[in-house]
Amino acid sequence: MKALFRSIYELIGAPQPPADTPVYRDVVFPNIGLLNIGISLALVVIFYYVINRMMGVATFNKGRHWAIFLVLNALVAFGIAISQAHAQQVTDHSYIYWLATWNAILGLIWFFLFSLILRKGSTNASTTPF
Amino acid sequence: MRHLTSFSRLLPALGLTLLLLPGCYSRSDMKTEEGAAQEAPTDVPPTEVPGAVPVRTPESAVAAAATSQPLQTVNVFLEVSGSMEGFMPKTGASGENTKFQQHVAQFLSEVNRTSAARQKTFYRIKERPYKDSYQGISTTVRSGIQQPAKSTDIPSVLDTLMSNYYQPGSVSVLISDFIYSPKNAGAIPYIKTDITDALTRSGSHPEMAVSVYGYTSDFRGTYYPALVASGKKTNCCDTEIPYYIWVVGPADAVRTFDQALLEQQPSKQAHFGVTYPQPNYSLLSKFQNKGSWYYGDAGASKRNAESYRVVAVSEASAQQPVEFVVGMDLTTLPGQYRDLAYLKQNLKLQGVDTDAKLLDVTATTSQTKASSGPESKFTHFAKVRLTRPPKAARPLVLRLQDQRPAWVAQWTTRNDATPAPKTFALSGLLDGLEAQSGAEKKPIFELPLTLQPGE
Repeated sequence: MKALFRSIYELIGAPQPPADTPVYRDVVFPNIGLLNIGISLALVVIFYYVINRMMGVATFNKGRHWAIFLVLNALVAFGIAISQAHAQQVTDHSYIYWLATWNAILGLIWFFLFSLILRKGSTNASTTPF
Repeated sequence: MRHLTSFSRLLPALGLTLLLLPGCYSRSDMKTEEGAAQEAPTDVPPTEVPGAVPVRTPESAVAAAATSQPLQTVNVFLEVSGSMEGFMPKTGASGENTKFQQHVAQFLSEVNRTSAARQKTFYRIKERPYKDSYQGISTTVRSGIQQPAKSTDIPSVLDTLMSNYYQPGSVSVLISDFIYSPKNAGAIPYIKTDITDALTRSGSHPEMAVSVYGYTSDFRGTYYPALVASGKKTNCCDTEIPYYIWVVGPADAVRTFDQALLEQQPSKQAHFGVTYPQPNYSLLSKFQNKGSWYYGDAGASKRNAESYRVVAVSEASAQQPVEFVVGMDLTTLPGQYRDLAYLKQNLKLQGVDTDAKLLDVTATTSQTKASSGPESKFTHFAKVRLTRPPKAARPLVLRLQDQRPAWVAQWTTRNDATPAPKTFALSGLLDGLEAQSGAEKKPIFELPLTLQPGE
């Protein structure tokens, strides 16, 4: 699991400063990776199953509504990366923001993938975003 | 009503999120989780390494147990021959005393009071040891020797100590000027052999160790040089004369005694055969570090500071060298080995297949002491630089060599006819001690590290 997240997050280069490498690899990457997947999945479930099935809301199933959730997910992913890094007391470095940006992009990807898989089960939004 | 039920259907989604959260790691979780695993040292050097540097197993735990046990017996021997009279003159009208009197009286009192030994016995050395009480010997030091012995012969004193007083957990402490006057000048070249023979006559003691502490004191009385032919000097002297405290016994007992009673005061010192537990040491990744490297230890993020041993180098070149600092806690070593000049000269770095060099050794400063980082736990720092990344895991060892301290040569004289703060044939005496403790000189400590490429 750690190795998986490490390979995903080190696509943007090794952690900086190098001295913090073990903390990033052992703690920060798995944390933000798991949280990112979990939150993306949760938001997809809320959009397709809660709002557009259980609650039966009929006016929140357009592409732009989906995009609101997509952007929301990216913002949360960005924030989580920064807060997790600071929680582990890593040295301040611009790398934290690069990592947060990368995490946001990964959030977009996860959200999109989960949307493709789970949209069929929704009653009102089974064709959103396309 | 409809709204409420739909809201309650949200719960599965929330539950799912909550289920995912505990999967996350945090440093504190891991610390407690794997606390047990940490205790087992994982610093076993990689096995595939060619020409691996021999590594001493950490003996800190064993040694700590040994140190906490008090010594069985401490036997203190004070030489009371004529040559010692000048150190212990009869108290003059003005009540002045010599440094020797002040120091030795205090030392005897400390020995008498110490909790580091169960039993303390005091002896005056004439032609053989005479048992004395603490009060008796203290009075001798303070108010002068009543009946000085003619002369005491160092080899025979050492022989007596070794055959009658050498026991596990016990030390013999010998206070003397250690002026060895052989019966004739022809014996001078054999001083070393005489000492070695004296120490081994009663049988071989592989564990035996000797610590020598040197002091100087003003001297008021008759001075007897080792070379009898040059004649004694009355009303000596303007210069200070050296005297010594030798601690003889099994290595761990000598170490315990030194630590408890002789390390507080500044002194010249030399140690023979004394072994010390491996000091605590660790790499410091955020202290004067340079270049691209990080802790390569397994589970590096959840270890306690003080136990990092593996340098993972991700990048190194002549333009961008890697520099790392090893913190060492040398508080358990005697002063001589904590001396910065000694460390700079004798701390060596040995590696395999690497250009790693020891740049500098520094002592802790008020700044590092006050630091909140792990560097506050160490007394000395060794900085290492390398410019070539290792190809595979390779051992790297910091080793403190056991060298005769420079003061021995300065305090040695071949002719002591003129009183001076030097002792006749001192280095010869110490040569004899060294020969006894074996041909091979062991390093004071070895701190194994590992260099490996960053993954």
